[in-house]
Amino acid sequence: MNVAIPKTKAEQALTEAFAAAAPKLPGSAAVTAARAKAIGEFGAIGLPHRRIEEWKYTDLRVQLKDIGATAVDDATAVSADDLRAALGALANVDAHRIVFVNGSHRSQLSALDGAKGLDVQPLAAALKSVPEKIADGLMRATGPKSDATVALNTAFVSDGAIVRVADGAELTKPLMVVFLSAGTTSRLTSVRNIISAGEGSTATIIEVHASLKSAATGGQVNALSEVTAGKGAALTHVKIAASPNGAVHLANWNVTLGADAMYKGFQYTSGQSLVRNQTHAVYAGEGGKFDLSGAYLARGTEHIDTTLVVDHAVPHCESRELFKGVLDDRGRGVFQGKIIVQPDAQKTDGKQMAQALMLSPDAEFDSKPELEIYADDVVCGHGTTTAELDADLLFYCKSRGIPESEARTLLIESFIGEALDKIEHEELRAALSSYANDWLGGR
Amino acid sequence: MAAVKETIDQVRQIDVDQYKYGFETKIESVKAPKGLDESTVRYISAQKSEPEWLLQWRLEAFQRWQAMTEPTWAKVHYPKIDFQNQYYYSAPKSTSGPKSLDEVDPELLETYKKLGIPLKEQELLAGVQSSRVAVDAVFDSVSVVTTFKDELKKAGVIFCSFSEAVREHPELVKKYLGSVVPQSDNYYAALNAAVFSDGSFVYIPEGVRCPMELSTYFRINEKNTGQFERTLIIADRGAYVSYLEGCTAPMRDEHQLHAAVVELIAMDDAEIKYSTVQNWYPGDKDGKGGIYNFVTKRGDCRGHHSKISWTQVETGSAITWKYPSCILRGDHSRGEFYSIAVSNGYQQVDSGTKMIHLGKNSSSRIISKGIAAGHSQNTYRGLVSAHRKATGVRNFTNCDSLLIGDKCGAHTVPYIEAKNSSAHFEHEATTSKISDDMLFYCRQRGLSAEEAVALVVNGFVRDVLQHLPMEFMAETQKLIGISLEGSVG
Repeated sequence: MNVAIPKTKAEQALTEAFAAAAPKLPGSAAVTAARAKAIGEFGAIGLPHRRIEEWKYTDLRVQLKDIGATAVDDATAVSADDLRAALGALANVDAHRIVFVNGSHRSQLSALDGAKGLDVQPLAAALKSVPEKIADGLMRATGPKSDATVALNTAFVSDGAIVRVADGAELTKPLMVVFLSAGTTSRLTSVRNIISAGEGSTATIIEVHASLKSAATGGQVNALSEVTAGKGAALTHVKIAASPNGAVHLANWNVTLGADAMYKGFQYTSGQSLVRNQTHAVYAGEGGKFDLSGAYLARGTEHIDTTLVVDHAVPHCESRELFKGVLDDRGRGVFQGKIIVQPDAQKTDGKQMAQALMLSPDAEFDSKPELEIYADDVVCGHGTTTAELDADLLFYCKSRGIPESEARTLLIESFIGEALDKIEHEELRAALSSYANDWLGGR
Repeated sequence: MAAVKETIDQVRQIDVDQYKYGFETKIESVKAPKGLDESTVRYISAQKSEPEWLLQWRLEAFQRWQAMTEPTWAKVHYPKIDFQNQYYYSAPKSTSGPKSLDEVDPELLETYKKLGIPLKEQELLAGVQSSRVAVDAVFDSVSVVTTFKDELKKAGVIFCSFSEAVREHPELVKKYLGSVVPQSDNYYAALNAAVFSDGSFVYIPEGVRCPMELSTYFRINEKNTGQFERTLIIADRGAYVSYLEGCTAPMRDEHQLHAAVVELIAMDDAEIKYSTVQNWYPGDKDGKGGIYNFVTKRGDCRGHHSKISWTQVETGSAITWKYPSCILRGDHSRGEFYSIAVSNGYQQVDSGTKMIHLGKNSSSRIISKGIAAGHSQNTYRGLVSAHRKATGVRNFTNCDSLLIGDKCGAHTVPYIEAKNSSAHFEHEATTSKISDDMLFYCRQRGLSAEEAVALVVNGFVRDVLQHLPMEFMAETQKLIGISLEGSVG
């Protein structure tokens, strides 16, 4: 479509916000140039809308309305108790911790007590101090080409974590990267993590997007993670977006798997007004295993979109996806999963499943699981289902003396539980169960 | 040596371009001037002595078409079609209204005989009711002959060529034409609405169960000619009809365009079963020539408890772009789609269905089997949607793909949209190759590699085959064997 479309209010606001914030955003000349280029690209493509196939069910031109103040050099006061309260059940997970408030690193809230083989640096500092060439590399994203959310992240990124796990290192404790929203102004926060797990290393990284109870509603978070799992590495990557203040959450995960690497991703989402979780996975060597699952809960008019592309370009790789969504009120779930098997990627094994449970007559679920296969010696499959709670199961529970409301909760828990079971870390799984239970309790 | 000869024959058979319907019939024809503008539309309308309202309808479609752009979203690639470099109307010269088969050009009869289609109304053998099929044969742009007319008339069934329907039953045509696929529905439907030449028209009155299978046989013969036929089938309250469609074309180096429109309308409690064996010329083994099959097929389950069932076997065409759909408007209506799409050589198939649930408690079922061999690309693209008010709807979708060889591709692009909670949708898809174990087992029992593949493939498509009418079943099994020849080893 080459027709000139008038800019929306949000598009205008984003371009203006960049002009205003640009001098304050961290980075050397190369970084500033990369930002300018990215905002130029955004200006050209604008916000994605439903005429763009990848955004058929999530129309940001329509759904993205107000843009908050750009978060940069934030100094909102947040105490350790505030952080603990915001994390809720997750505070119980014993982990190394790096904390960002409104997109700026807070060393006094972080707890990085020198774990062997783990190096964590804030991105902002690196953007200012590293040589140009490396800074340029930090600003590059490997995901989808000409994507507005990626361009916006590159333009606005204020901070994030650079995580390096040394070759052969086995981390006993997970690393928690916490992004907190605080303060009474709603903000546009853009963060980027660059995670690399060295050859043969083992690590768990938990990315948490939370907010203080007192925080303003209607903020926006744009989070991008560039992940590389080296040869034979085993990396677990969990993202929890569960701030209760109805933020817009646009996330990109770009994952590259080395030979025989194993990547286990999980995305938990609740309490967000508009969510787009985009994942793009590629294999750099044979024998890679990619496993991505997730659970999302939506109510009110919340809209949660999970879009993923797994590109099998080399033989002997495996991919697994399992997504479970619970949709109440006018909640809308979207699942778009695409598995590509390139001509030489023989012996590929890919399975994908997306299920939605609809609790209200007005809920909506749109699913588009795609297979694009150019090699013959493969086993690929996908499934998707959508339904209400099973009346028979409900009846069974009731016949055993369980009151209806309890029976419903029980059934929903077990539905979500199947996805949560993919998380191996026990404390973390318990914390997420409790998150989900809190959500169900609010019904 | 009989055995040696047999082997030689078999080897000769194993060639991709073994398209046995590729002959050309030498027959004189009347053609519209090459190219497409308003005068072409007027010419076609005048040739068929059409009433003014139909001409206006065509012209309106033509205007809409000019404002449209070619769709590019399908996973098919082909050079841009030059719409000015082809003929839009071609009719065998001698068919100015034959009264009986005796008046039809013997060349034409010979053609259909070669295709194995009986146009002679055979006498009824006692007890062999099912072997009778009424045929409407369409040669290039016009309908040649329709058989068993009198007998159908007795039952109240109208089965005739579209032109005849316009003359004899204008009120029915006017009422239903374009009511399922509007003129401006899509690029090729608009083109068809402007220049459609002939096709079949079926009307089954209230409560009538059509006494025999109805069939249309399409044949493109003329060079550089596009075929644009339009089929309209109406099953009134409580009626039932089973309709078969077959198609072939000669082997030619250039691509030919086939853009048909099929509209089905099922009123309360009516049922329409529509079966297609699509065997247009697929091009030679290097991908040269072949038919571009850009077809819009849609059924409207207008009444409650109505049912429309599409069964298709796609083995031909260089490019297939076809999505037989059901609009499930009536409460408790049912849509079914059974498909086998076989692609070989350089064929490209982008096919599937749409099940649009608007009525309460409507249900649908999709079984699609794609088989890709050679350098072909085979895509299933489908939509299942439930309207906000369509409560209690059900869908089950199963699309499996089988890959033979490492140069082909099989893709699945389903869209599933549930806009209310009581929708119960299930979708599953798998892609795999023929298991070596299975082949080894067959080989071990003395089957050749080719036979083993044919056996496994026939097993793979069995779910769909059993929904085909008897007449098509045997033919299809053979067809799948032929289409896959040369794909092993």
